Amino acid sequence: MSDLSIVTPDSVAQLSDREIRRSIRRRWVTRTSILLGWGAFIGIWYILSDIVFRDPRLPSLHLVLQRAGRIIATPGFGSDLGNSVLRLLGGFLLALVISSVLGLLIAYSDWWRNLLQGFLQLIVSIPTIGYAVLALVLFGISPIGPVLTTMLVSIPYITLNVAQGIAGVDRRLIVMSEAFGRTRKQIARDVLLPSSLLSLLSGARLAFAVAWRMELLSEIFASSQGVGFQIRSSFERYDTQAMLAWTVIFVALMLIFEHLVLRQIDRWASHWRSAEPSATR
Amino acid sequence: MATVLIENLTKVFPPTANQPNQVQALGGLNLSITGNVLVAVLGPSGCGKTTLLNIVAGVEQPTSGSVRSVQDGVPAHISYVFQEPRLLPWRTVVNNMIFVQDRKSDRSRREAEFYLSMVGLGDVADLYPSQLSGGMQQRVNIARAFLVNPDILLMDEPFSHLDALTGRSLRDYLQKIWSQTRKTALLVTHDVNEAVELADRIIMMRPGGVIFDDIPVNLPRPRHPSNPDLQFLQNDILRRFDSMEAAVRFGVG
Repeated sequence: MSDLSIVTPDSVAQLSDREIRRSIRRRWVTRTSILLGWGAFIGIWYILSDIVFRDPRLPSLHLVLQRAGRIIATPGFGSDLGNSVLRLLGGFLLALVISSVLGLLIAYSDWWRNLLQGFLQLIVSIPTIGYAVLALVLFGISPIGPVLTTMLVSIPYITLNVAQGIAGVDRRLIVMSEAFGRTRKQIARDVLLPSSLLSLLSGARLAFAVAWRMELLSEIFASSQGVGFQIRSSFERYDTQAMLAWTVIFVALMLIFEHLVLRQIDRWASHWRSAEPSATR
Repeated sequence: MATVLIENLTKVFPPTANQPNQVQALGGLNLSITGNVLVAVLGPSGCGKTTLLNIVAGVEQPTSGSVRSVQDGVPAHISYVFQEPRLLPWRTVVNNMIFVQDRKSDRSRREAEFYLSMVGLGDVADLYPSQLSGGMQQRVNIARAFLVNPDILLMDEPFSHLDALTGRSLRDYLQKIWSQTRKTALLVTHDVNEAVELADRIIMMRPGGVIFDDIPVNLPRPRHPSNPDLQFLQNDILRRFDSMEAAVRFGVG
């Protein structure tokens, strides 16, 4: 007898059961691999801190976390963290505004593209420590250096993504809008911006990951306040525990910001892509 | 009453990297359309039909000549049904409709839903275009063009991307909605069936953007493709195209 599978309501139900089981298995595999990754990180830390280097060169993770807790409880913590976050957001928002304009210029003008391409490549290829040192030389110990360097390293990532997003806009949608008499402002707001929004957001996420590292580095060299300054102070006292505790706090905050703010904005902006096909089609 | 007056219209595209020679899309075209009629411009692909429509819509400039679209002495309000739906994928169907409206008000949504229901899509207003089939998206395209209450309606091969059955069903929707609104309409198509089924007048074009024939279609609506009069007219039009091709081939066109 041939082994032909016959499609019946039961077989469809079985298939969907299989699909559900596969989906649950996939979810568990994902969760397990994430847990394994964190487990490996913690395990390696303990091997390094308890066997290879030992405290005080590399303190154990729980000691670092305890210290982080004590730092968070100190009265000056909010001021240091607030300074760092404000500088980071200041530089990042400036970069967003400038990059949006530069991205538009690159997308619409060959002249601007040729002019800016080399400049942007130069910014990307300079090592971040170079900016930190330069900021110290040019602005001394002040908040201006960290803000400007954060802005500068963010600009290429956002600019190129904005330019790519605008260049990728479906020309036919613009012609449609013109044919219906939409103004330039309406086309920019309702067609160009939404078309390039996802590119802009992916550039912004990439830039943010670079920006907060740059901010921290600039503060280490050229600031008398903030998380970076605290890391440097701890290093100068040879207090590795505090140095790592400040780093852990800042990294945790940035990861939370990335997940709770940037990714949510991304999800909101692309919700139409995940719309389920209609049963009426 | 809306009028489209086209005089000595030429359009020449300059050479490009892909096309080393300049291309004449329209060659001194004259045409006058007045009143609540649906006029079909019929011709083979590449004969300049879409270029003509784009110039009338104002999204492309002619090389020479003029186009005047007026309604009671003032510039006419024009709308467009495109070959493809051209819907904004990040907006819901109803918001795509509202996007083309000049004045947004509380009534905008109701008006949009009214025209959607005229094309049988009253229940998909809040879906995204990606959730609709190609035929449904094209119906939104048609409804959107009527929503702005145009004086003149331009249609660029609106059924050419659809399968035959969906195309026929959409032609029925178009006939229904046009019969109720009676807008001055200019439809370009390469499909003889479509032209005879929908038009009150058929203008025949040949490559180079030249009109070689212009015939009235005095048949009652709604028209069904199986109507023998329509089939007779189709054959007549095809004969005219054959004669034109022969004349051009032998240098007498």
